[in-house]
Amino acid sequence: MKVTRESAQQAQPKTLRHFFRRLGERWLSRRAPRARAITLNHSRLFILPTRAGLGYLLVVAVLWLLATNYENNLVFALTFLLISVFVILPVHTFANLSGLRLQLLSTEPAFAGDFAEAKINLSREDKREREWIQVHWPTEEGAYVDLCEERSADFRVALPVLERGRVQAPRLRVESRFPLGLFRCWSRIDLDVEFLVYPRPLAGGPLPLGEALVEGESGPVRRGGDDYASLKPYQPGDSLRHLAWKQYAAGRDLYSKEYESRTDTRLWLDWALLDGRDVETRLSNLCHWALQAEKQGIAYGLRVPGTTLPPSLGMEHQQRVLGALALFPKWDG
Amino acid sequence: MSNNRDLLPRESLLWIFAAQFVALLPQLAQLPLWIAFAWAFAVYWRLEVFRGRRDLPGRPLKFLVILLTVAGLALSYQRWFALEPMVALLALSFTLKNLELVSRRDAFVSLLLAYFVAATLFVREQSIPYALYGLISVLVITAALAAQLGSFSARPRRALGLSVRLLAQATPLMLLLFVVMPRLGPLWNVPQDTSAGRTGVSDSMAPGDFTRLSKSAEPALRIAFDGPIPPPEQRYWRGLVYSEFDGRTWRQGFGVDPRNGGQVYWKSGERPLPQVGPRYRYRVIQEASRSPWLFALARPASDSAGVGETLDDRLVKRTPLYSRFAYDVRSWPRDPQAVPIPLSSAERRRNLQLPADGNERTRAWVERLRRKGLGAEAISSQLLARYHREFTYTLSPPALGRDSVDAFLFDSQKGFCEHFAGSYVFTMRAAGVPARVVAGYQGGEWVSGEKYLLVREYDAHAWAEIWLDGRGWQRVDPTAAVSPERVRNGLESAAGEEFMRDSLLPVHRIDALVKLRLQWDMINYRWYQTVVSFDSEKQRDTLQRLLGDISPLRMALFFAAPVAVVLLAMLLWTRLGSRGRRRPAVERLYGVFCRRMARAGIARRAGEAPRDYAERISAAKPHLAEFAERVTQTFERAAYGGEASALKELRYLLRWRLLLLPRVPINKNKLAGQ
Repeated sequence: MKVTRESAQQAQPKTLRHFFRRLGERWLSRRAPRARAITLNHSRLFILPTRAGLGYLLVVAVLWLLATNYENNLVFALTFLLISVFVILPVHTFANLSGLRLQLLSTEPAFAGDFAEAKINLSREDKREREWIQVHWPTEEGAYVDLCEERSADFRVALPVLERGRVQAPRLRVESRFPLGLFRCWSRIDLDVEFLVYPRPLAGGPLPLGEALVEGESGPVRRGGDDYASLKPYQPGDSLRHLAWKQYAAGRDLYSKEYESRTDTRLWLDWALLDGRDVETRLSNLCHWALQAEKQGIAYGLRVPGTTLPPSLGMEHQQRVLGALALFPKWDG
Repeated sequence: MSNNRDLLPRESLLWIFAAQFVALLPQLAQLPLWIAFAWAFAVYWRLEVFRGRRDLPGRPLKFLVILLTVAGLALSYQRWFALEPMVALLALSFTLKNLELVSRRDAFVSLLLAYFVAATLFVREQSIPYALYGLISVLVITAALAAQLGSFSARPRRALGLSVRLLAQATPLMLLLFVVMPRLGPLWNVPQDTSAGRTGVSDSMAPGDFTRLSKSAEPALRIAFDGPIPPPEQRYWRGLVYSEFDGRTWRQGFGVDPRNGGQVYWKSGERPLPQVGPRYRYRVIQEASRSPWLFALARPASDSAGVGETLDDRLVKRTPLYSRFAYDVRSWPRDPQAVPIPLSSAERRRNLQLPADGNERTRAWVERLRRKGLGAEAISSQLLARYHREFTYTLSPPALGRDSVDAFLFDSQKGFCEHFAGSYVFTMRAAGVPARVVAGYQGGEWVSGEKYLLVREYDAHAWAEIWLDGRGWQRVDPTAAVSPERVRNGLESAAGEEFMRDSLLPVHRIDALVKLRLQWDMINYRWYQTVVSFDSEKQRDTLQRLLGDISPLRMALFFAAPVAVVLLAMLLWTRLGSRGRRRPAVERLYGVFCRRMARAGIARRAGEAPRDYAERISAAKPHLAEFAERVTQTFERAAYGGEASALKELRYLLRWRLLLLPRVPINKNKLAGQ
C-alpha cells in the first residue's frame, strides 16, 4: 500500500531519483538484511564528518595559515594536534556503535494518525562504555540511549502511522556523534518492525444501543416470537413463557425453547448500521464505538462483512475487535 | 526549527563559558579592560536568559551592541592592521555570540572561535609556560566540545578525561606531522604583535638609562659559539653608536641611524670582508626588543635573512624584533687592516660634534692639556688615570645638573658606565679627537650545561671608541679604568652590595636559586632550539638524521609505514572486535548443527526455539528426524542442564554426522520427493 502510494506521488520527473533510491535500498537490504536482532559491525556502519566537522577543518586551515605566515611553530603544533584529533575521531565514533546489539522486543498497536511505538533493547557485550546513541526513524526524534554503567537498556521508539493495517516500518536509523560531534556514524537497520494499526477513531454518532435488531445472516426475515429453533435444558431464571410445556406434558424433562429470531437487546456494532459512508469512515466510526462501549462498560459485538465477534468486554476482546477493524480488506480502486 | 535536543542545556552553556574564559584569560592583560567587562556582562545576560528572567536581546539591541563595540574598538585601537585589534575582534565576536547562543550550532561556532583565540596567544609568546597554558586551554575547549553532547559526557571528569585521552592519542601523529610537514614560509605580510618584548638598550642615552637596565635580570641574548670563545674582557656586544650630543642626551644622529640616512649593506658580500685574523663564528638568539638593533662583536658579517651591516660595524634588522630572533654572525674583532680607510670629512665632523656651549670647566681642562702639547692618546690616558684615581663606580649615581659632564667630572665623581662613556667621549671630542659612544652589552654568563653565553639586561653597557690616525677606530672602555671587575667578572662583582638591591627576591644571593634560574634558562634555550626555531633547514637536518638520505622513496616509506601499521591495526580491530565475546561451546556446536540443517534446506528462523525447529525438521525431512531429535535433546541437556557429558556427546554427534551428511544425497532425496 505504502509503495503504491509513493510511486503514485513520484511521477515521471522523479523516476531517476526513485531508481537510485531503490538501488540503494536493495544494496542495503543485501548488506544489512532484515532481522529481529542485529549486531552493528563495520559492514553496517557508515561514517562521515558532520557540518561541525567541516567547520573544524576550516578552523584548522585558518590556523595553518596563521602558523605559516607568522612562522610560528607552536601554532603549527596546535594545528597538527587538531588535525591528529580529527584523524583519530572517527575511530572513537565508530567504536561507540560497533558491537552494539539491537533487538526488537515488541511492538504496540496504535491508532492511525497516532504514534506507533516499538520497544527495542540495546545491549553491549564488551567493556567499552557507549554514549549518546540515537535510535530513530528519520525525521522523528527517536530515543537517546547511554550504555555507561549498564550493559543493556530498553527503550521505545515512535513512528507516526497514517494508515490502518499491518504497517512495515522503514529502516531504523542508529546514529552517534560521540565524542566531539564532529563525525556522525550511523547504520540503517531493519529490525523487522511491523505495527498493527487500528483505524483512526472518528465519532459517528451515539452508540447504537437497541438498534441492532436485525439478524446478521437471514436479514429481514422475521417470523414472530414463537418460532423456536431448538430446545435447551431449563435453567432457573429462564423465562416461563419460553418453557416447552408441550414436551413437559409429554413426560419429558423441563426444557426451554430457544428462539432464533428473538429480539436481541445486546449491543452490536454493525457494519450495516453505517450504510452510505465509505469504507474507511465506517471502520473509523466502528472503532470509535468500540472504544466508547469499552469505556462505558457495555458488552459489544462486532459485525463486519466476513467477521462476527460475539459481544463481550475486556482488553482482549477490544484488541480482537480493533484488530479485525485494522485488518479489514482495503478498498483498492 | 531546531528541536528541543538542539537547545543548549545548562552544562553545555557552562562549558562554553569555561572554554571562553580559559582562552581569554591570558589575553586580558593586553586587551582593553572594557572587553573583559563586555564578556562578563554577556555571560551574565545569557545566564539570566537561561534562568528565564530575561529574553535574548532583540534585533535593534543587537545592532546597537555591535555599533558600540565597533566604536569601542575604533577608540581603543587607531590602527586596524595589527595583531591586537584582531585578537580583540575575535574576543568580541564570541562575546557577542554569547548573546545569541541558542542552538548547538552556535555552540560549535563559539568553541571553534575559542580554539582560534587560544592559538593567537602563541603569536605573542612561544615560551614554555605559554605552551603549557595553550595546551590546557585546548584541553578545556576540547572537553567543552565533548560536553556539548550532554548528559553523561557533560560531567566534568568525564569530559576532561575524554579530552585528555583524545589529545594523548593524537600526540604521536602530531609529532610526526610537526617533523615532516613542510614549512612554506610567510605567504603574505601579517601584522606583528607590537606589544611583545621589553625595550633593552634604546636608541638614545641619557644619564640614568643604563642604571634602569641594571635592575633587570631578564635574558637579552643567548649566544652559542661554533669554535673559539672570546675571553670575558673581549665580550663587547655592539648594538648602537651614539654620535650626536645635545648637552644631556646622546643620540645616533643623522648618518648613523639607519632610519635617518645611515647606510646599511643588506646584501652579504657587498662589503669586503677581512681575509685573515681571528674570527669568531656564533649564533645569537635575541629576545624581542621592539627595535631593529642587533648585537654582535666588532666587525661582524651575517648571512641571515633580513640582517644588514652598517658602515660603523654593527648589525641591524630590517624590521623591529617583535619576537625572538636568531642570526648567525662571523666577527673579526681585531681587524688587521694595515691602513684603515681615512675618515671622510663628514664623518670626522660628525664625530667631533659638540654643543656650542656648556660644560665649560671640562673644555677648559682639555684646553690646558692640549696646550701642554699632549696628543690624543696622552689625553686619553690622562683622563683614564683620573678616573682610576678619583672616581667611584656606583649603581646609584647622584643627580647631575645642567652641565652634566662638568658636574660629573669635577663634583660628584660617582657614576655608572653611561657617565664614564659620555664624559670620556665629550672630553676627547673637546680635545679634537673623533670619538663616539657605543652601547650594547658587555660580558655574559657561560652556561656550561648547554654551552652558550647568557647575556642579561643588566649586562647592558656603554663604552667609547676613538679614532686614531693610522690605526682607525679603537675601543676604549672608561669603566674598565675605574672598575676592572665590571669588564672581567660582570656587574655583580663590580657593584657588590648595590647589585639588584631593589629586586623583590634577591635571587643572586641564594646559590640554589641562582642554579635553578640557570637551569630554567637552559631548558628555555633547549626549547627554543628544538621547538620554537624548528624551520625548514632544521627539518631537513632532522629528516636526514632519521632517514640517512632524503630520497622520494624513503620519504614515501617514512609516510607509508606508520599509515600501514595503523590501518592494519584498525583492520584487525574491526575483524576481531566486531565478533564480540566468544560464545560458549554449546552454542557454537548448536550453530554448526543449524548451518548444517540450513544447507539441507531448512534454515532456523530468527528466535525459533530449538524444540520447534526440531519438529519442523522432522516434518519436512523425515530421514533427518532422528538425528535432529537427538541433537536437540543433547543440546538442551548441555545448555540448560549443564551436563558435561552431554556436551561431549553433542560434540561427538556432530563430528560424526558432519562427515556423514554430505550435500548430494540430500539433494537427491529432495528431487525424489518431488
